Amino acid sequence: MKLSIDAERCQGHGRCFELAPDLIDADDLGRGEVLVEGEDVPDALIDAARSAVRACPEGAITLS
Amino acid sequence: MYSQDSDENEKRKALALERSSTPREYYARLRSVGATDGNEKPGAVQLVCRRDIEEALRTPELFSSVLVDTDIMGSVEPIIPLNVDPPEHVRYRRLLDPLFAPKHMAALQPAVLGHTNALIDSFIDRGSCDFSAELAVPLPCSTFLTLLGLPVDELSALVRWKDIMIRAETLVDNPDDAKQLQFDTAKDIYARFGAEMADRRTKPREDLITFLTTAEIEGSKLSDSEILRICFLLLAAGLDTVTISLQCIFAYLLEHPEARQMLIEKPGSENLLIEELLRWETPVQQLTRFPTRDIEIGGCPIRKGQEVQLALSSANVDPDGVPGADQVDVTRNDIRSLAFGGGPHRCLGSNLARMELRTVIRAWHDRIPEYAVAPGVTLQWNGSTLRGVDHMPLVFPAGGRA
Ligand code: SF4
Repeated sequence: MKLSIDAERCQGHGRCFELAPDLIDADDLGRGEVLVEGEDVPDALIDAARSAVRACPEGAITLS
Repeated sequence: MYSQDSDENEKRKALALERSSTPREYYARLRSVGATDGNEKPGAVQLVCRRDIEEALRTPELFSSVLVDTDIMGSVEPIIPLNVDPPEHVRYRRLLDPLFAPKHMAALQPAVLGHTNALIDSFIDRGSCDFSAELAVPLPCSTFLTLLGLPVDELSALVRWKDIMIRAETLVDNPDDAKQLQFDTAKDIYARFGAEMADRRTKPREDLITFLTTAEIEGSKLSDSEILRICFLLLAAGLDTVTISLQCIFAYLLEHPEARQMLIEKPGSENLLIEELLRWETPVQQLTRFPTRDIEIGGCPIRKGQEVQLALSSANVDPDGVPGADQVDVTRNDIRSLAFGGGPHRCLGSNLARMELRTVIRAWHDRIPEYAVAPGVTLQWNGSTLRGVDHMPLVFPAGGRA
């Protein structure tokens, strides 16, 4: 499964890079930036990815 | 006629007190009646369902943040970026967002920890304190002074200013006097910041005022008025919000020993606890918007320009919007919170607020793990939509940690 952030929706709440720091980092504006763009999320990090998806207040993150 | 008015007033006061003391029950009741409520403020409508509120936050072209026919806290021109709509809003946010991004906040953290420890030092040997007056109020004010590059000994002047700007009606009896006081104080504040700007232009420093005097948007410098209106926002939005968040979180902790125990035993557990309690307690209960055309929500017609309050306090615990939202769990990491609003106006200072809250909660529990409300005292919620507890007398073993 791959992780992506809809840059149009993201407003920089910053929940994702706190909950999944191995997968998402903050850019200079404080918005989420996927570190593993286009790659499969490793099994060990799937739970972290799921919590980022669920916690994002803007519903900007997808895992599919 | 007169007594009817004062009856109405009493009714509104009672509702406000109920909203701030038992927000979850209060809003569950409103949601069971309908999607809107018109009882709390004459002429205004309140949205209470998660779905409608999210929609309003994400549709700034329909729900404007530009104030209609009212002046905010004696400021004649719109506060930046709070009362500015996209696309102009986007330009300001692009400039300001990096300043409040997590990286910058991490750099400010040691200073905030220093302020926190100094405040705790001032009362720890006494074995008692008023958590509000001695920590929750001064800490964000000291942080503000550090951030802007103003001397920390101006703390008491700043506390007075922000009290006048945010809650003048609690300082003087007559609403007209309150307005006048705000107006005069706004002038003083503008003059004061104006002098600081002039100073930074000749002697630049590493602070926010210097940054703003040199910053450019699309090749042109910010005007003095723009800089002042940004500073004004930080003053109006960055102080009481952190104060009441600390009060809300401590009010919860005082009633939940198991959550306190977790904080003591597991450093770092404060991060998720803070997110969850900001959602569950929602210290900033409402935001205001103004529709740009006539609309209808849940069968309720709303006029163009009519004041619409978005009850974040309701949205955050509405189980029809997010399953499980009517339950609290200070270890959960999977629920969407609108505590910092949402959409393009998402709270600019959210990372600053988080850093301040984390710093205080960690330092306090490291130093004062055992504490309780002073004997004989019952905490009173303030009845404001900035929901807090004005007096929080606490007791603990003198000197703190044994
Ligand atoms: S949590 Fe959502 S809105 Fe916040 S930074 Fe991450 S993607 Fe953006």
